[in-house]
Amino acid sequence: MDWKELVLELVLMPLIAFVVGMGMVLMMRRIAAKLQRRVGPPLFQAFYDIVKLHSKETQVSHGLIHEIGIVMAIGGYVAAETLLPVPGMNGIAAQGGLIALLYMTMIPSLGLALGVGQCANPNGSIGISRALTAMLAYDVPLVIVIFGVAYHYGTTNLVDMIAQQQAGGIATWGAAEMPLLAIAGLFAMQGMLGKHPFEIYVAPAEIATGPMVEMGGKFLGGLFVMQCFQLYTAGVLYVTLFLGGGENWATFLVKSFAILAIPMSIAMLFPRYRTEDMVRLMWKWPVMLGLLGLAFIVR
Amino acid sequence: MTSLDLLFLVSGLTLVVALVLGRQRLTAPLLVVLYGVQFAALIHTGTLFGDPVAASFGITVLDQPMHWRYDALSWFFAMITIGAGFFSAWYAAGVWQSAYAKGGQSPWLFHVALAANVFAMLVLLGSGDFLSLFLGWELVSWASFLLMALGGPASGRAALRYLTYAFSGAMAILGAMALLYTQAGSLEYAQVAAAIPTLTNTQVWVLLALFGSGFGVKMGLLPFHLWQAAAYAETPGPGSAFFGAISSRMGLYAIMVVIVAMMGVTRLANMDVVFALVSARDLLAWIAALTIILPTFTALQQHDARYLLAWHGIGQGGYMLLGLVTGSAIGTAGGIMHVFNHATYQAALFMAVMAVVHRTGTADLNKLGGLVARMPLSFLVMLFGIIGLAGLPPMNGFVSKWMIYSALITDGMPLLFVAAIVGTLGTILSVYKLIHNMFLGQLRIEHEQVREAPLSMLAPMLALATLIFLSGLVPGPVLSWVAEVQRVVGLPVVNYSLGGVIDPRGSLDMLWLVGILMAGFGVGALVFFGFGGKSRRVHQLDNYAGGHFLTAQVRYQYSDNFYAGLMHLIGPWYRGAFRWLEEAISALVDLLSYAMHWIYRSVQPLVFLLAATVAMLVWAGV
Repeated sequence: MDWKELVLELVLMPLIAFVVGMGMVLMMRRIAAKLQRRVGPPLFQAFYDIVKLHSKETQVSHGLIHEIGIVMAIGGYVAAETLLPVPGMNGIAAQGGLIALLYMTMIPSLGLALGVGQCANPNGSIGISRALTAMLAYDVPLVIVIFGVAYHYGTTNLVDMIAQQQAGGIATWGAAEMPLLAIAGLFAMQGMLGKHPFEIYVAPAEIATGPMVEMGGKFLGGLFVMQCFQLYTAGVLYVTLFLGGGENWATFLVKSFAILAIPMSIAMLFPRYRTEDMVRLMWKWPVMLGLLGLAFIVR
Repeated sequence: MTSLDLLFLVSGLTLVVALVLGRQRLTAPLLVVLYGVQFAALIHTGTLFGDPVAASFGITVLDQPMHWRYDALSWFFAMITIGAGFFSAWYAAGVWQSAYAKGGQSPWLFHVALAANVFAMLVLLGSGDFLSLFLGWELVSWASFLLMALGGPASGRAALRYLTYAFSGAMAILGAMALLYTQAGSLEYAQVAAAIPTLTNTQVWVLLALFGSGFGVKMGLLPFHLWQAAAYAETPGPGSAFFGAISSRMGLYAIMVVIVAMMGVTRLANMDVVFALVSARDLLAWIAALTIILPTFTALQQHDARYLLAWHGIGQGGYMLLGLVTGSAIGTAGGIMHVFNHATYQAALFMAVMAVVHRTGTADLNKLGGLVARMPLSFLVMLFGIIGLAGLPPMNGFVSKWMIYSALITDGMPLLFVAAIVGTLGTILSVYKLIHNMFLGQLRIEHEQVREAPLSMLAPMLALATLIFLSGLVPGPVLSWVAEVQRVVGLPVVNYSLGGVIDPRGSLDMLWLVGILMAGFGVGALVFFGFGGKSRRVHQLDNYAGGHFLTAQVRYQYSDNFYAGLMHLIGPWYRGAFRWLEEAISALVDLLSYAMHWIYRSVQPLVFLLAATVAMLVWAGV
């Protein structure tokens, strides 16, 4: 490939991810509003929020690691987006594949954890301890799903996976061939997003607890950007693994938004789980579904 | 004199210099230089890419020749050994050893023990037959004991425990050697390797059990792992860095020589346990997987930074074995490469912890915190180390683990794959606790005046941190060594590039990944620092939580029982089953010794001797 084209892709892919991610945040808020019979925010609310947070007058930093944590949180996702193929652009997806992508998305969590740690707020540290426990919870079904998918397609290269799914239409989509794993993956995604009913580790509704407790101004703004990337990554990864990737931008976006709408709708219907109950739940049902799904695949 | 003789000579000379001149102040830097010379001598042998080199001397014991030779496998392990010795001696050479001497300890003894360890390991790695292997094995055991026992009563107990384990292991190895000798008629590697395919499966099973447990003891494989954490953690200062980096990998070296190279992974895969559900290879793979998971989650519970790291060292050994028993090019390369990667980050981590101990006097995770502002460079080293240990990009640990994961996927081993990743997740939890409780959170008031670690300790730490990053960015050189090792051992050879691995089922190119990650950080920094208002930095002790201003007098660091929610759930699983096993075995041995004691004391020994003689005669007559 021409290097100019590649550079363009590497610039465009995170940029698109950010814009689409803002749209996903908007959708999440609109769904919540509909379910709660509110009007919901306007079209550019996510953008306004980021601008507002960045332009706050009071911005308290607890030290260099606090700031670098936010940089890592954004930077890790910017890098991860170039590993995630979108219609017409593969970026450097062939250089790492699925496992590298999975681990690349842990860099932002590490950054956030380091940043929160330096704030020396015990409530923030408790939030991180919960977040990491939650990660241990939802990653077990997730890695079962990832194994199943990679084994089924015989590759960890996302580009090849998409090509295989698109070769035979809907019948060869991951969701059609591995329905149990697709359900388990949806379950894991619900946990990964950190929304209801598993949002206690983010504690978005509490001011004095959770990882965000010392985050104000552009620190919170940076994490808002991270959230846009996070939603995008979760949705697009699911589409890539199970829904045949994107044939073109229209179907790609429809699929990505539609698949994210499922956990977002479920989110508003359930009360909270405690972290240890979340571990119990995640290690039981989705793991069982996933293992059952694997039994059909691994021969 | 061959180039191998020269290597042994230089290594022996290092030991002699440490022994004779070790009490002089200037000897320590000289020793560092001598380790450097050992490294040069090793490179001079040229056994990595060239032909094996034999030592010109040899001994004959009971008509059995003992000889030594180096090939690529020996070179690889020897390179890490000398490197670990070099960095540990460097770390010890300056301020650390004066402080150690002030504490009433003898740096001379430390340097002698370290040099003896390196020498013994180099001898072991050069073994050309089972006798020299056994000799080297015993040398290493005794040298390790010497270094382990230096650190006071706790370390003495741990070292004795190690010695008990090491002797039991050596007995198993000796038994296996006797068995081999009766079958092959020789203890030469070549003859034994030729004889093994003619053995029945039962015989190979017995050999596997004996060798496996013997080598497994040193490697810390389950269920023989209980000695290791305490023994390594209690070793003084850089000694634990040296042990953590390489010592237990001698077990892996022996496993590679005997089990992987001579028996072969294919043979193991064809040896089924009853009903053909599980093969010997699966059994080994599951031992490896359990060695990953159980020690890792034990590490999660530790309150002492040194113990935490030592437990992780045991767990990471599981990855190496797991990679090896996959038998595929990528998996075995990942396992072998992990030896190198683990050595770099484990040494760096132990050194960072010891630097904190040097400055604050404690490694207790509940008595530290907030040191990042006081010791930023040590923090940086620890950060690089934990990213490597957890196996996240961009550090080198990610590359080797990636290779093991993808081999497990390709081979269709879902449960082992999940086990490997669960181990990694547990590691992430545990290392975050480590760095949080030491460097992040509240700075204790008594640590307000703590200064950065002295330069003599920082320099090797930073050098190792650089190595961790560079070998993650450009894994090609290490992979080229690994490929040579695979060739020597008779494994399929990995197809590598400068930046990683090339494979039709998914490649890895770290140059791209690290490059894009750095670019991402650049974008992140631009977004964060380039836009928006200016942030105001508050003092480290200026904190506010839960409606109160927190003063330095209040202890509010969240450190103890860090993962309370998780422990509430999985805490009851820590039942110490292995400790029970160990106690049961030692109780059994006690009982047997009492019984024998009673028999010899209360019954006429002559009667027994007579009975035994008659029995022997009858048996011989038949």
